[in-house]
Amino acid sequence: MTDEPGTSNSSQPSSTQFECNICLDTAKDAVISYCGHLFCWPCLHQWLETRPNRQECPVCKAGIGKDKVVPLYGRGSSNNVDPREKLPPRPQAQRPAAENRNMGWNGLNLGDGFQMSFGIGAFPFGFFGSMFNVNDGRPRTPPPDTPQYQDEQVISKVFLFVAIFMMFWLFVS
Amino acid sequence: MSSIATTRIQRELKDIKESNNQSIKIELKSDEFNNLRGEIVGPSGTPYQDGMYKLSIKIPETYPFNPPIVSFDTRIWHPNISSVTGAICLDILKDQWAAALTLRTVLLSLQALLSAAEPDDPQDAVVAKQYKDNQKAFVKTARFWAQYYANAPGPRDTDCVEKLRKASEMGFYKDISLQALSTHSWDLENAIQYLTSC
Repeated sequence: MTDEPGTSNSSQPSSTQFECNICLDTAKDAVISYCGHLFCWPCLHQWLETRPNRQECPVCKAGIGKDKVVPLYGRGSSNNVDPREKLPPRPQAQRPAAENRNMGWNGLNLGDGFQMSFGIGAFPFGFFGSMFNVNDGRPRTPPPDTPQYQDEQVISKVFLFVAIFMMFWLFVS
Repeated sequence: MSSIATTRIQRELKDIKESNNQSIKIELKSDEFNNLRGEIVGPSGTPYQDGMYKLSIKIPETYPFNPPIVSFDTRIWHPNISSVTGAICLDILKDQWAAALTLRTVLLSLQALLSAAEPDDPQDAVVAKQYKDNQKAFVKTARFWAQYYANAPGPRDTDCVEKLRKASEMGFYKDISLQALSTHSWDLENAIQYLTSC
């Protein structure tokens, strides 16, 4: 088909295909969900902030989240910076929300949740105290890859080392 | 009002104009974009057929991340809409709201609600009970209310007209008489007894 004066008119509706589903304007810092819906990242970010407990696609209610969208880079878009990095990271990624969920912290969890802690007391009692601290309502270990998790791991290792050293010292003396 | 809310409302008003749907209308109440007036036509095949229902639409500061606040200005007899205040029980106006929904889709959903009531999740318990227990009285009442308040065309039920006239001749306001008669499934004696007791 040749270009006719009418083509610009008929192509008008197709431009709406590239509109953000939230602000209804042409998508800026565009991201696309796995379910195929286009958003401005600032708009989608605000939607996810508004409903932290229900991370659903505003169009089709499929699961959605920061790690479940793909940034779109058009030609000449701003230096291909991931739009998701332009905003400060979502606070809920940092928030230790797990504290509300620790009601069911049960059993002697020596797997992922094993932690060595430091306590002062007469040796056998202190030892038992720290050995059998089950169901004491301590917050669960934060999820891996967060700064808190790494910090706690370091502290745990330091205490473990101190404990081994003390036992060794008691043994020798 | 936040700029995203304002620009979105402007966009939506333009889209509704262009969509050329005769059965829904939205207009600004004033120059402010946070207060709108809507109108829907009662869907055919229901007691509300061809009634004109006016709605008041309030846009929150956080729109479209939070739903608009919609209520009926025209009185209506429906299990999910308060017959007194016009408050609406519809999930997408509450927790099921999604930012991609628009005023147009909300009004279309309200039309769908008029076609398919949810008596198990009622807003008006009296209407819902009548809907479940006495479907015939419900249809008669809903139709009469549509004609009385929403200007739905067609001949009015003579039984309703007569009983309403009798009640208002006794000195009760017409709106209150109609509410009492509707609540008591057009049992004139019970309705009068109720009216005199309160």
